[in-house]
Amino acid sequence: MPRRRHRTGWLRMGSLAAFTVVFVGFAIAAPGFLVVGNIANVVDQSAILGVLAFGMTVVIIGGGGDVITGGIDLSLAGNLGLSAAVFAVLSQSGSGDVLAVVAALASGVAVGFVNAFAVVRLRILPLLATLAVMNICAGVELVLTHNMVVQARSSLLSRLAGDGPFGLPVLAYLLLAIAFVLVLAVQCSPTGLRLYAVGGHREAARAAGLAVERHVGGSYLVSGLCGGIGGVFSAALLNGSTPGSGEMLLSIVVAALLGSVFSRRLVPTIAGTLLAVLFIGFLINGFQLINVSSYWVSGVEGVLILFVVGTTSLVRREMS
Amino acid sequence: MTAPPSVTSAVRVEALAVRGLVKTFGGVRALDGANLTVATGTIHGLVGQNGAGKSTLIKIIAGIYRPDAGVITIRGRPVDHLTPARVTEHGIHMIHQDRLLVPTFTVAEALFLGQEPRRGALPVIDRRALRSRAREALHRIFDIDLSPDALVGELTTAQQQIVQITRALLNQPAMLVLDEPTAALVRRDAERLLATLLRLRDQGLTILYISHYLAEIERLCDQVTVLRNGVDVGTVDPRQTSTTGLISMMIARDVGDMFPRRKAGAGAPALIAQALSQQDAFSDISLSVRHGEIVGLTGLVGSGAKELARCLFGVTTPDQGTISVDGQTLRPGDPAAAVAAGVAMVPEDRRGHGVALRLSVRENTTLAGLKRFSPFGLLNRKAEHRETDRLIRALAIRTPDGNSPVRDLSGGNQQKVVLAKWLSCQSSVFVLDEPTVGVDIGAKVEIYRLIADLAVDGAAILLVSSDLMELSGMADRILVMYRGRIAAELLSRETDADTLMRFVTTGRGGEADADAA
Repeated sequence: MPRRRHRTGWLRMGSLAAFTVVFVGFAIAAPGFLVVGNIANVVDQSAILGVLAFGMTVVIIGGGGDVITGGIDLSLAGNLGLSAAVFAVLSQSGSGDVLAVVAALASGVAVGFVNAFAVVRLRILPLLATLAVMNICAGVELVLTHNMVVQARSSLLSRLAGDGPFGLPVLAYLLLAIAFVLVLAVQCSPTGLRLYAVGGHREAARAAGLAVERHVGGSYLVSGLCGGIGGVFSAALLNGSTPGSGEMLLSIVVAALLGSVFSRRLVPTIAGTLLAVLFIGFLINGFQLINVSSYWVSGVEGVLILFVVGTTSLVRREMS
Repeated sequence: MTAPPSVTSAVRVEALAVRGLVKTFGGVRALDGANLTVATGTIHGLVGQNGAGKSTLIKIIAGIYRPDAGVITIRGRPVDHLTPARVTEHGIHMIHQDRLLVPTFTVAEALFLGQEPRRGALPVIDRRALRSRAREALHRIFDIDLSPDALVGELTTAQQQIVQITRALLNQPAMLVLDEPTAALVRRDAERLLATLLRLRDQGLTILYISHYLAEIERLCDQVTVLRNGVDVGTVDPRQTSTTGLISMMIARDVGDMFPRRKAGAGAPALIAQALSQQDAFSDISLSVRHGEIVGLTGLVGSGAKELARCLFGVTTPDQGTISVDGQTLRPGDPAAAVAAGVAMVPEDRRGHGVALRLSVRENTTLAGLKRFSPFGLLNRKAEHRETDRLIRALAIRTPDGNSPVRDLSGGNQQKVVLAKWLSCQSSVFVLDEPTVGVDIGAKVEIYRLIADLAVDGAAILLVSSDLMELSGMADRILVMYRGRIAAELLSRETDADTLMRFVTTGRGGEADADAA
């Protein structure tokens, strides 16, 4: 069993090393990469992906890391699109910011509720349940927007898209603030620990007297809320709602899965996901700076998924 | 071995009592009016052969099953509608055989999951208190220094067991129920666990201890209840009862004519294993099974018998040693090679590995030998039908026709389908793992006849079973495994059930007391 410890160590060190190599490589190859403004820019552009990946992380923690039967929320990207559409449509029709934000977040939580109901009550595999809900989201979004760009302008949106203290983007601050809150809730609170227990060994959690279903359902509600927040962020960055949010799905999955290699237990963590999100952000940013087509990013993400799922399941198999 | 300090059980109220417990599963009576009384502050043993009703009784006490009839009283008060949570509230903690711990948790987290120390009123775990309390608890209860930060998945089986028991003891329970706690432990760790349990008993804890190891029962228990066929046949003081006495209580004697008569076969060696070893399972196992011979293989959970059977079929890879069939060495860890060499495996968990429940009887029977029915890559349905019909008749499989899904058949008939599957491949070596578990008596007799016929026709059969009666009745020779090694090779016609039982439960032939020393 020390062999396993060895391997997880290698995996963790290797991933950190890869992160560093990419970072240093771009810093040398692309002047302007290592400038505060650019770094802040990357964090800013990672905000949407980050918030969604946090939601995915919470779901995977509570549902377990099994690729097929474990927790996953494929509806997150669709949820983002729907919530952004709700915000934009309300905003365009003259509603105030408060109402629009509350409605967008509520639609996100509602999507999470449908997921929770399908997974916990109807006992549908999360992979299938959230795939179906993803389609529902996309459908409702089309009904709301007729597959067109819905412009939205408001003081809140321009403030969100603007700069905060020290001239750094507001969304960057918000991403870090949300990460901080979630680290407290997931990594430091009893509820977080119990969520890990539910995902790590359901029978053990039940034997410890935990309300397994409530934890799993709760994880989808949190994920839904993250989708709603992502929708508001997206509306701010894009000045409204734009079709095509579904393309983010792969990146969300990558970020949440990649994050687990940074933990000694090979489980997803909020901090690990944040690192993974920034890694992907820097990758895209670096490619742009050295004039490599961003089309490559999708391929690289696919490779990362294969790598992470392959290595972690290999190490897990050795453990059992 | 010293006597416990003044057990005045007669005066005290009993910690747990069950009266007239009945539980039926689909027509089979697992419990048929069982009684059990556990006196406060004692260690009470529960023994019985496989199928005697032990696990059903434990699961009822744990609140997992609901009894059809009977009364349970805890500290003199009748309780009903038990659930696992209620049982815990009554101060009874269960240590199940499979360790229920989250592998990605640290020792400290696993110990305090559900009752984590917090920083004041904040919903934030106090990590420092968590660690120090974990260290203190492990030290107090087991006197060991296990790092609270070690991951559960990286612990040894014994350490995981320690974590689980420590966890149960955190809340000062009145009673602990342990189901085969030493089955997966090596000798030294088992000894330490027993010593700890004795100490806990002396501190006032009541313990219900289920084990197959009679030496442990004698060393540990103040009283032991023997279950047989769902009824308690007696409760005795194990220190005043010989091992032989306990064993004869455990064994039913009405063997009858269930087993077909057959002359012991003596053909050429068919299946030979040489110096097989597998870490944590078994070591240095050599055996041979001749054509026409039925060899029994038995052993307690953790003895390595199950693991050996799986290894012989190529499901797992041995660390050392070779397996050959009819003189041809098999590639280790390759079931396909084993099938090609004529080996058939009937697994214990037939729903998991043996049959495809949704497929029809016909599809299942011809699944392993499909090539014979598809000379040009297409199935010859007619040949397939003919073969299936022949097998259904030969094995007396009770099914409307070959097209019915296997799911609709009874357990015994499903088992026959598994056998039919391998018969259709014309295998010459059979590894049968618990072929009659969960099968009603009528189907049992038919399966026995079938196995005997196979042997008469020259097949070599390794019969892995924990049913000692079945082994005595069917096998020519019986190999008994004990803690990873073959402890004895016995000729069934020269061995009575008591001797066999003694080898299985103690690993040696004489009186078992020596084992505990």
